[in-house]
Amino acid sequence: MARRLVALFATLTLAVGACGDSGTTASGQTKLTIGVIPIVDVAPIYLGVQKGFFTEQKLEVKLETAQGGAAIVPGVVAGQYQFGFSNTVSLLLANAQGLPLKAVANGVASTGAEGKDFGAVIVKKDSPITSAKDLAGKRVAVNTLRNINTTTVSSVVRKAGGDPSTITYVELPFPDIVSAVAKGDVDAGQVVEPFLTIAAGQGDKQITSNYAGTAPGLTVGMYFTSTKFAQENAAAVAGFTTAMNKSLEYASAHPDEARAVLTTYTKIDPAVQQKMVLPKWPSAVDKASVQVLADLATQDGVLTKQPDLTALLP
Amino acid sequence: MKRIGLPVVLVALWWAASAGSTSFFWPPLPAIVAAVPSTWTGDFWLHDVVPSVVRLLIGFFLALFLGVAAGVALGTFRTVFFMAEPVLEFFRALPPPVLIPIIALVAGYTGWTAKVVTITLGCLWPVLLNTIEGVRSVDEVARETARSYHIAPLKVIVPSAGPRIATGARQALSVGVILMVISELFGANRGLGAAVVQFQRGFAVPQMWTGIILLGLLGVALSGLFQLVERHTLAWYHGWRRAEREG
Repeated sequence: MARRLVALFATLTLAVGACGDSGTTASGQTKLTIGVIPIVDVAPIYLGVQKGFFTEQKLEVKLETAQGGAAIVPGVVAGQYQFGFSNTVSLLLANAQGLPLKAVANGVASTGAEGKDFGAVIVKKDSPITSAKDLAGKRVAVNTLRNINTTTVSSVVRKAGGDPSTITYVELPFPDIVSAVAKGDVDAGQVVEPFLTIAAGQGDKQITSNYAGTAPGLTVGMYFTSTKFAQENAAAVAGFTTAMNKSLEYASAHPDEARAVLTTYTKIDPAVQQKMVLPKWPSAVDKASVQVLADLATQDGVLTKQPDLTALLP
Repeated sequence: MKRIGLPVVLVALWWAASAGSTSFFWPPLPAIVAAVPSTWTGDFWLHDVVPSVVRLLIGFFLALFLGVAAGVALGTFRTVFFMAEPVLEFFRALPPPVLIPIIALVAGYTGWTAKVVTITLGCLWPVLLNTIEGVRSVDEVARETARSYHIAPLKVIVPSAGPRIATGARQALSVGVILMVISELFGANRGLGAAVVQFQRGFAVPQMWTGIILLGLLGVALSGLFQLVERHTLAWYHGWRRAEREG
């Protein structure tokens, strides 16, 4: 919550003119600062840095954590970060508002398996809600209003035959969603791992996998840069994309190492870390699923005009 | 007229400095003004602004009532104050924003209660501490005289502590505006503060600026209203001060 205030100020101060951190070291390495969110989604980039995939491309990468995509986008535009990670809907919103961004690598995707995805809607053990359709007319907690989680929850409710316009969405940070559901303050909540495993440990039930239910290979997040940086530093961008794709493939092939790297940048309970469902890390963006998100967000009124996907996507 | 002059100059400066700005996050002032009609709609006033202001006023008046009541008690009885002081200092040092998740556990994550409690907790301290000081500085002779003539002590204490209480209330009001915004960053879906954050996250930058400007205007309006009320209720005090200065 207080971090959200910080993010608000960050938007304002970064805009004034943060200085870039990009440069070349004596050994010919390009220095890059990358804005990431300390969540399971970005495990591949941490693993890739550890394995030296970025050094191979003559990139000296520094990862900096931020509160969310909304704080990282202004950072990338202002040049504080050369690359950043953000969820797909935030990137669509930025693009539709005319912010010149370019996605350069895939980030994270849904597993596509209902009930076995890294994000889902949870309810209390004894809740009368048993399906997505029952969410109509209820109070549902999400971590960000008018973003990927409201869009995808509304989509699965609509598909199940419910009217998503009757849902009251309430914004709470992920850890508080689990407690608010337990306390009965909200009827249901959308959470991602590791909170999904924590909620399951408290006896909560999963009623729908909102990412998998929206599109099987839903592209939930991507790595991006500013159009200006992409034009002026083609070599660095190509190197980043190559290293990032290699990291995504490595993480997909070595899930145990991806799990292990989590402890280097999150404070996660080891038991939860072993049990939690990992997302998919394909190296290609599922363009059709991004179009689905764009259409849904337009339908919900989150986007006021269609974003330009050819300009945004790699 | 003199009071209008500076704002006019500042707005003109902003207009000139932002003209032709190509920065996405610092749009030219005309672009912000152009976003006002489509942002400050009837729905926005009714479901964002009014509920926020009503929560602020409920929280503020609750704090005023509790602060004056507790302040008079603590200011009058020295031993009680002596015993309570460390506890008061402890709670005063806790910033209400960090307490929000704890308040939510008791008062609920969503809905009005937690937000009003947050505002009240923040507004309470300036009122309470100023009231205590005000009551403790009541003239001993006035107190004794009231006792001899069997006048209820409150009739002497409250008016003479009035100017200090007013000072506390004025500070509380500005703290209240801040907490009104902060309380909506958690477990809210509507409200003026929540709207500003959502505009920011949706990259609707001119709309975000209109919200920030509205927050500032709200502060000006509330402080104007406060001055009116204070001038009326503390008319005797301002009259006395004027007489002192001229005499």
